[in-house]
Amino acid sequence: MKRFTRRWRKSILLQVTGSSVIISIIVIAVVGSVLYTKISAGIYHEKANAAVSEAQSLSDYTQSQLDATRYRTDISLTKVISGIFKASEVSPTTSVRETIMLATPATAKSSTLYQGSSHQVALSTIPEAFRVKVRKNFFSQSQRVKIQYTNRPGVAIDAIAVGRVVGIPVNSIYEIYYLFPLTQQQQLISLIRGWMFGTGIILILMIGLITWYVIRKVVLPVREVAEIAEKLSEGDLGRRLAIRSEDEMGRLAISFNEMALSMQQQISRLENLSRLQQRFVSDVSHELRTPLTTIRMASQILYDSRGLLDPAASRSAELLISQTERFETLLTDLLEVSRFDARAAILETKDVDLKIIVQRAIDTLQANEVAGFSFVAPDNEYHALVDDRRIERIVRNLISNAIDHSEGQGVVITMAQSEHEVAIGVRDFGIGFNDREADRLFDRFWRADPSRSRVRGGTGLGLAIALDDAKLHQGTLKAWGRPKHGAHFVVTLPKNPGIPISSELIAVVPSDEPSTIVTDIDNEEI
Amino acid sequence: MTLIMVVDDDQDLAEMLGIVLNGAGYEVDLINHGDQVLDSFRANKPDLVLLDVMLPGIDGVEICRQIRAESMVPIVMLTAKSDSHDVVMGLEAGADDYMVKPFKSSELVARLKARLRRSSSDGANSLHLGDIVIDQVAHTLNRDGKSIPLTRIEFDLLVALAKEPGRVFTREALLSEVWGYQNATDTRLVNVHIQRLRSKVERDPENPELIQTVRGVGYKAGSIGS
Repeated sequence: MKRFTRRWRKSILLQVTGSSVIISIIVIAVVGSVLYTKISAGIYHEKANAAVSEAQSLSDYTQSQLDATRYRTDISLTKVISGIFKASEVSPTTSVRETIMLATPATAKSSTLYQGSSHQVALSTIPEAFRVKVRKNFFSQSQRVKIQYTNRPGVAIDAIAVGRVVGIPVNSIYEIYYLFPLTQQQQLISLIRGWMFGTGIILILMIGLITWYVIRKVVLPVREVAEIAEKLSEGDLGRRLAIRSEDEMGRLAISFNEMALSMQQQISRLENLSRLQQRFVSDVSHELRTPLTTIRMASQILYDSRGLLDPAASRSAELLISQTERFETLLTDLLEVSRFDARAAILETKDVDLKIIVQRAIDTLQANEVAGFSFVAPDNEYHALVDDRRIERIVRNLISNAIDHSEGQGVVITMAQSEHEVAIGVRDFGIGFNDREADRLFDRFWRADPSRSRVRGGTGLGLAIALDDAKLHQGTLKAWGRPKHGAHFVVTLPKNPGIPISSELIAVVPSDEPSTIVTDIDNEEI
Repeated sequence: MTLIMVVDDDQDLAEMLGIVLNGAGYEVDLINHGDQVLDSFRANKPDLVLLDVMLPGIDGVEICRQIRAESMVPIVMLTAKSDSHDVVMGLEAGADDYMVKPFKSSELVARLKARLRRSSSDGANSLHLGDIVIDQVAHTLNRDGKSIPLTRIEFDLLVALAKEPGRVFTREALLSEVWGYQNATDTRLVNVHIQRLRSKVERDPENPELIQTVRGVGYKAGSIGS
């Protein structure tokens, strides 16, 4: 049922055909039943009229025969009466009419001698109420009755009964009833009913079929357009509509195809442009590496022999080597960013213990020599399927940022895990940041305080890359900060890639810092 | 004196490499064009080849393959793209190691030293792995009296595994033991060399028996029938 409702809602063809069939069923049923009632009433009425006039003349004749027995000796009463019944028994089985004679209650007191019926019709066929009515009226009365036979129990035939009172010499009053069976009329009516029913069904089927055909003619091309449009939006830009006619549908197909073509051209033009752009960035970064290698080795030689140089040249050699290193970091970061922009960044996952990665980052950055440093990881192992190179980069970035901004107030690294997720939090108690700065925290090349950031030679791309790396894992990177209270960065990663993060293992707002700003960028598109 | 052949189309970088390597006490044969590599290689018989993979003329990977066809000399590639296909191609063509530009002079010298160093034969002079006899002194490998030529890296890799049969080495452990890298995570280097080693020593490289993969961990030396 549910499936049907869904199909119904989704298909105009079904809706229109269905509703036109339902409406025509109702109309045909109403018209048909009115017609049927009128026709059957007419047929019965006709029969009733004929029956009454026939009965009238029959009873007139019978009365005159009965009257005649008084003064004519050649006609005996019994003969006349038996003749009354015999007249109805011309055909032994199907009779045109039956006759019943019944004594009125007044006569019945003395004798019911002449009571009787043709073909053994039960006398009880005539209902008492009808008899009363007949006795009260001089003219013939008619009514629908059901003929019953004493020798055929269970049989009841619809008929019209016409009755009147007759006098039998001497002083006996009887009721005489003529019963006209309606078998023929009923057969006719049922024939008419059958025809009407059949015609109705055929009409409804025709209406349904015609509607279905007409709507299909309109809907099918629409459906085709919808399918092709879906394919186009899925990225299958080469799909086109077949042009089969010159009518409105054909025109629709032509303009639809034109639209698809121009869309395809636009998209491929933009794709080419952006591919060129990305290739350019990547090529530039790579081309720069060869001369940079030469510069680096040359500056190393100058640096190694700085003892032989005068103070200015010696200092220059020092600057040269440190700036070359900075240049190289910048180049590496730039290349990484261009890879993210080109969506060419690939996640190479393997099962690693994140605690080892964090510990390694701490060792490399000599973070444990920072005042107030602590590393809180209660579990022995924090295994997850991750790209260890990227995770190490995130962790190293967050820790070195924390050290740079801690102002000697301490750095706390925490780890937590659940069945499906693992989180690393890096907290410092240094300068922190305000709302305005929080909005730009993850922007490329943005620095909170340009004068102080070059201590460690950060490129300004660190947090942007960290966020991209976290998103690549379908993890989150959240930041909290407050001026002079420090900052807290929390990265949460799924233990298996592809499962979205659903909980906050480490609250980004520190428990000791209620009601403060949280920068939540993790749901943004890259 | 140790001779290093430097193949690089960038003349300035080649010259710089020459200065650095001379300073480190090596003799240097500078080649700027891919076409001259093989002639010079045959004439001078260098102890190590430092090869830039992106060369005009013949490309570095092809040169690498050609040199490897004639000699087991250590080959170190220079590349600007660490994540590119070139690296894997170069390793598959027979390079022992690679360096990503830009590198420090000290890193380069240390790496070359490691590649030139003959692994010290501690303990037994000969090792057995399956039906293979490894002679650590002569640096040769024999199966049924027939010698199997291996590059130095491949030899060291095999020795590392064969010394402790049954021990499972992670790729990181092999990187540190054989290549001398600390905290390195480039597993391509290990994977490619294991493949090459198998293609030389295994009877059926598709179903390796001597060098077995331990899924999700690394590799171990097995023996036929075990």
